[in-house]
Amino acid sequence: MPTLNDRHYDQFLRLFADHESALRTFVRSMVPSLEDASEIMQDTAVVLWQKFDEYDAARDFRKWAFGVARYQALTYLRDRVRDRHVFDDALVHSLADDAAAADQRHEAQREALDQCLQKLPEAQREMVLTAYTKGTRMDELAAERGQTAMSLYKVLHRIRQALLECVRRTVAREEYI
Amino acid sequence: MKGHWHEQIQRYVAGDSTQEETDALQQALKDDAGLRALYLDYLNLDLALGEAAEAAVLRENGIGRTTKFPRPLALSSAYHWWWIGAAAACAVLVVFAMLPGGSGSTGAHPDIDATITSAQSAIARLSLEPPSPLPAWTSPTASLLEQPRISE
Repeated sequence: MPTLNDRHYDQFLRLFADHESALRTFVRSMVPSLEDASEIMQDTAVVLWQKFDEYDAARDFRKWAFGVARYQALTYLRDRVRDRHVFDDALVHSLADDAAAADQRHEAQREALDQCLQKLPEAQREMVLTAYTKGTRMDELAAERGQTAMSLYKVLHRIRQALLECVRRTVAREEYI
Repeated sequence: MKGHWHEQIQRYVAGDSTQEETDALQQALKDDAGLRALYLDYLNLDLALGEAAEAAVLRENGIGRTTKFPRPLALSSAYHWWWIGAAAACAVLVVFAMLPGGSGSTGAHPDIDATITSAQSAIARLSLEPPSPLPAWTSPTASLLEQPRISE
């Protein structure tokens, strides 16, 4: 394994930072929750570093990292998500293939999100961002707003749907330009 | 059809789907590439919203905010004058040292000796007491004593 503080390590860090966002989206495509995705990302980062000596610099780092991440996600799903409803391996593979192909579209959608958030009424924007802030409990947020958790979920569903339609529209429009 | 799947996808992502709902969604995703794209776009949105929320918290806490500090205009002009003064004193010393008789003559040119002594003491004073044109709070340790007040 390479030692710390050498050029090899710097090279790895630079490549990982360049592709981290795409890799995170790719991992997220295979697992149902953000927490699972975070854990797989950590495992993937460790394995990528451990195997970085084997990486051929002539190859596409992103493809290599996606391969490692796919294996990590499948192992994780088999080992640790037995008690939850998750998709079978065939569908996870199929989603991973689609996600790798949709890499550019997803990047464009992430960039468009900021514009779409600005178009939301302020109260809705604050609510959705609060709901996504780490440590927020939905039941507490609902109580603060004088709502039931169920009605809060419904509002959030509608906001997410509106945001998704907005980012898709924005990206489609930009593709024409 | 789409409205139903919007809801089913979000329920699955939130971990609220029953086994039957998961099975139905799985089958639909296997059969329909457009639905797979919708599912992946939702997951991407979910991730991006998490990042946007994190960025909003960082902004609110002031991390990453650009603060405008007062520009230390006095710094450059005061230092200029300090260096000009020091250079002039040196020039005076050099000129007098090159005069016939040199700096070693003491009794012959008492006025010159007095000038040299005065210039030397002026230089010594300058090097002992450099000007401090910056406000005290810009010192790295001054923050322990008093915080700057930046007017709105």
